[in-house]
Amino acid sequence: MVFRKKKIVDIIASFILVIRNFCFLIIYPYKGMRKISLENDYWQIFFIFLMVFIYFKLAYFLRGNFYPTIFTFFIFLANFFLMISFFYGLGKIFNWKIKKTALIFTFSYSLLPTLIWFFTTLFFYFVLPPPRTFSLMGRTFSIFFITFSLTVLFWKLILFYLALRFSTQVSFFKIFYLILLFLLWYAPYSVLLYYLKIFRVPFI
Amino acid sequence: MKSYSLRFKKQISEVFIIKPNDLGSEFLTCWFKKLTLLLKRFPFLYLLPLATLIACLLYLFLGKRIVVITSFLQYGF
Repeated sequence: MVFRKKKIVDIIASFILVIRNFCFLIIYPYKGMRKISLENDYWQIFFIFLMVFIYFKLAYFLRGNFYPTIFTFFIFLANFFLMISFFYGLGKIFNWKIKKTALIFTFSYSLLPTLIWFFTTLFFYFVLPPPRTFSLMGRTFSIFFITFSLTVLFWKLILFYLALRFSTQVSFFKIFYLILLFLLWYAPYSVLLYYLKIFRVPFI
Repeated sequence: MKSYSLRFKKQISEVFIIKPNDLGSEFLTCWFKKLTLLLKRFPFLYLLPLATLIACLLYLFLGKRIVVITSFLQYGF
């Protein structure tokens, strides 16, 4: 009984830590990612993945996607672990002090901008359904939406860079080349996912 | 006092978890540090105006076609 109570307290604490780390990533991304790279509580990963699953479920119900939620979620997990394996593998080849746990935690937390963008897009899809018109309102919303999307994209790039910086511990140029190598296979792979109608915008 | 010392040690070891970035030239490293310093605390202060500027420039260059991009993105989830 005491054991179960302790477990519940641990899970609640993990959830609070996820919220705290999300706040850190908004206000102090560098410091936040540094703290996250030292985490080892896997319940936090569970909560982030749960949010991703909730998003897929919502999108499936509200928009009626072609594929069931479980399938989309499985593809997301495969993408995620493929990406981590890619960076881990490269780190091992070049004999870097790469930390697998840090890689998993930092990349899981770097999903925050992705989640915010997808949830917001889902919301706007129902509030102001596309296609947009050429009216003044349509153009104004377009500028607003592109500004929002670009801000989230820049934030995502910063978190992605920091995730690699703290888990591989290499310098800026090496991270830049790592990202280029990653895009070399991920860009065509994203196009394939687009044509298969699994992800129109890559969920990374 | 001992607990403060331990916390300080922990904080210091956390700060020095990675070596500072070195971009090869002193000039580049200096500018990189200046630029990244702005992004370490609430980056939206700089990202939002930059994104607004790019969105306005896109509107100026693409005109009404900006609406097509938005529609594509809105179908993107």
